[in-house]
Amino acid sequence: MWTDEGEGKVLYVQTHGVSDPGRCATPFFLAASAAAMEVEVAIYFTMYGPTLLQKDVIDKIGPKGDRGQPLAYFIKQATDLGVRLYVCQPSLELNDLALDELIDGVEMIGGAAFNDMAMRADAVVSF
Amino acid sequence: MPIAETPAQVLDCKGLQCPMPVIKTAQAIKTLDPGQVLELLATDPGVEPDMKAWSSRTGNELLAIDRDGDVFHVFLRRAG
Repeated sequence: MWTDEGEGKVLYVQTHGVSDPGRCATPFFLAASAAAMEVEVAIYFTMYGPTLLQKDVIDKIGPKGDRGQPLAYFIKQATDLGVRLYVCQPSLELNDLALDELIDGVEMIGGAAFNDMAMRADAVVSF
Repeated sequence: MPIAETPAQVLDCKGLQCPMPVIKTAQAIKTLDPGQVLELLATDPGVEPDMKAWSSRTGNELLAIDRDGDVFHVFLRRAG
């Protein structure tokens, strides 16, 4: 949830998952860029998005396959700058995942919290 | 426009793509004292609009962007 400590707030929404690796990294790039601008940033993973946060997946896929950096690199770049990651229970269930299968630091929110974050953000960018 | 003062730090981001120059600049400028100048070297063609946006958002002053062939020299003064 927002702390209101940044110079504005941007919420990214990632709906794509492991079956489309070319779409896995850009939300992390943009989130990292926003965080570097002292903006408060969150990424909400829904639909297939939570599959990108699995501990045993992040080192195995990347936006350019075997060429270039793995997804883990882009996630760390974003989270090191303070980007926060959120999932919701129904989308974990959709993908047959449990929170403990995801990387550390991912927080669980629900639909009401998501909508509140969206309404309080300065921009919501959906992928 | 030449910059009269010597930068306190030169950050070499040549060859790095978006968003690395922005991220490394944001990290590097925090190591300077207010008023000190950072010189960023970058080849990413998006660096000029990115640094204008970044500096106006963060309050750090964009002093100049000089282009030398493929290399952009970006001079930024840390906000006081």
